[in-house]
Amino acid sequence: MSTKKVWFITGASQGFGLILAKQLLEKGDFVAATSRRKSDLEAAISPKSDHFLPLEMNLTDENNVKKAIDETIATFGKIDHIINNAGYGLLGAVEELSDAEARQNFDVNVFGSLNVIRQSLPHLRKQQSGHIFNIASIGGYLGDFPGFGIYCATKFAVVGFSEAMAIELKEFGINVTAVLPGYFRTNFLTSGSLATPKNPLDGYKSTRDSQELHQQQINNNQPGNPEKGAAAIIQIAGEKNPPVHLFLGSDAYELAKTKAENMMTELEDWKSVTVNTDF
Amino acid sequence: MKHSNLKTWFITGASKGLGLALATKLLKEGYAVAATSRNAKNFSETLLQDKNFLALQTDLSDENSIRNAAAQTVKHFGKIDVVVNNAGYGIGGAIEELSENEISQSFDVNVFATLKVIKAVMPYLRAQRSGHIINISSIAGFAAATGWAVYAAVKFAVVGLSEVLAEDVKEFGIHVTVVEPGAFRTQFLTPESLVLAQNPIEDYTAIRKSHERYASFDGAQIGDPEKAASVFIDLVKNPNPPIRLFLGSDAYKRATEKVQILHDDLQNWKAVSISTDFN
Repeated sequence: MSTKKVWFITGASQGFGLILAKQLLEKGDFVAATSRRKSDLEAAISPKSDHFLPLEMNLTDENNVKKAIDETIATFGKIDHIINNAGYGLLGAVEELSDAEARQNFDVNVFGSLNVIRQSLPHLRKQQSGHIFNIASIGGYLGDFPGFGIYCATKFAVVGFSEAMAIELKEFGINVTAVLPGYFRTNFLTSGSLATPKNPLDGYKSTRDSQELHQQQINNNQPGNPEKGAAAIIQIAGEKNPPVHLFLGSDAYELAKTKAENMMTELEDWKSVTVNTDF
Repeated sequence: MKHSNLKTWFITGASKGLGLALATKLLKEGYAVAATSRNAKNFSETLLQDKNFLALQTDLSDENSIRNAAAQTVKHFGKIDVVVNNAGYGIGGAIEELSENEISQSFDVNVFATLKVIKAVMPYLRAQRSGHIINISSIAGFAAATGWAVYAAVKFAVVGLSEVLAEDVKEFGIHVTVVEPGAFRTQFLTPESLVLAQNPIEDYTAIRKSHERYASFDGAQIGDPEKAASVFIDLVKNPNPPIRLFLGSDAYKRATEKVQILHDDLQNWKAVSISTDFN
C-alpha cells in the first residue's frame, strides 16, 4: 500500500461530505464514501476510480455499518481518517416535536456516529493510529439558535463524547477532533434537508421567526465556503497535534470567542453561589 | 385540593440524591412537592405522611405515564410552578465497550425523559405564563472526563437543549436553568446507581484507572446535597435566574479550566478557523 491515506466519509453524496471526497480523490488519496443510496454516490462522483469505494450504508443499523467498515478494510487495507459527517438540522420547539422526531435526529446525528466509532475502533487500535473527525456545529458549543433545541442537543452530545474520546484514545495513538462549523453554503437549510415539526403549535412566534430567518435569509447567503472548509479539514488531518475543537468560519470563531468571554463573566458573577455548596 | 400561595414543585427521580435532598428541604419550608419515582415505595414514610407531598409512581420512558403525573399534580395542587428534571444516572466505559443498547438506555433516562417531561408540563406553564424549568446536568456536561464519554454526551445534550429552550420559552414568561454540579455526596457513585460497561476491553487502561479513582471518591464527595437544595430554592426566588449554574468548588475549577482550554484551542487555530469564508 502506498503512503496515500484512506478516508471513510459518511453522508458523502452531497454537501460537505461530497466536496471533501472530491478534493481527496483529486489529491490521490483513497476514499470510502457512504450514503443511503449507492447510486447517489456513483452519480455524484465519476468516473469510476480504484481510489473510490462507494458504499450503501444505513448509519442507524450497526451490522450495516460494520459491513461498510469491513469492506473498506478489505479494499484499501486500512482506515486512516474517519469523517462522521452525516447529519441533518431540525428546527422546532421542544414542545412541538414528537418523541419520534427528536429521536430520529439523535439516531442520525449521534447514534449513527457512535456506530461508526464502535465498529472502526478495533481496526484503529490495532494499527495504533487514526484520526476521527466528528462534524458537530457551532450549535454544539452554544445554544443561541432559537428553535434548534433538539439539534443543538445532538451537536452538544457530539462535542461531549469527542472530548472524552480524545483523551481516552491517546494511548492508542488515535486523534479525535470535533469540528464546529458556522454557517456554510451547502443545502443544509433547504427544505429537503432541514426538518421541521409535523405538528407546529400556535404561539411559538420566536421559533417561526427563526425558521423564516433561516429558510429565507440565511439560506444561500451563508458566509462559509464549503470548498475551503473541506480544505481546512484536510490540513488538520495532516497535523501532528491536531486540536480537539476546530471551529470553522469567522462567524463560528466570533461566536465561540464571545461565548468563552461570557462564560468567564458568568462563572465569576455566580462564583459565590457556586463554591458555597461544599461541606 | 387548592394550595397556598407557596410554589408547587414537580421533581423527577426524587427518591434519592439531590432530588430527595431538595424535596425534603422544600417540605420543611412549606412548599408543595410532587415527586416521581419508578416505585412509590421508594419514598420514605416521613415524605409520604407529609400533606404537602404527592408521590407519583411514574415510568419516565412512557409519555402517558408522565402526562398523567403532570395532570395529577395540577389536579392535586392546582398548578405546577417549578419543574426539576433530576432523574438520571452515570454511565462509564469507552464507546467501543458500550453496546448500542447500553448507550440508548442512558439517553432514554438522561435525555429523552427530560424532553418528555418538558413536553408534558409546557401546556400548563404556557397557559399560566409563568414557571421555571430546572434541568440537572453535570460538570461533565461542560467538561468531559476520561472514561465517561457517553455520560458527557447525555449531559452536554441537556446543556444544549436547555440553552435553546431558555430562549424559546422566554416569550411565555418561563425561566430555564441548567445546573451543572460537581461531585455531591449522594448514592451516584455506588455500584447500585452507577452503570459500567458490561463487556470491558482490556486494552483501555486509562479508563480503568479513571473508574477506580472515581469509585474511591464515593462517600467523600465534596458537595453537600442540602446546600445544593438551598441554592435551588433561592434560584427560583431570583427574578433573573442564570441559564447556567455550576455547583461546587470542584465544578467551578473544572469549568474555569475548560473555558481556558477552549479559548486556547480557539486562538491557536484561529488562522484555520477564519480561512474558510467566501472572499
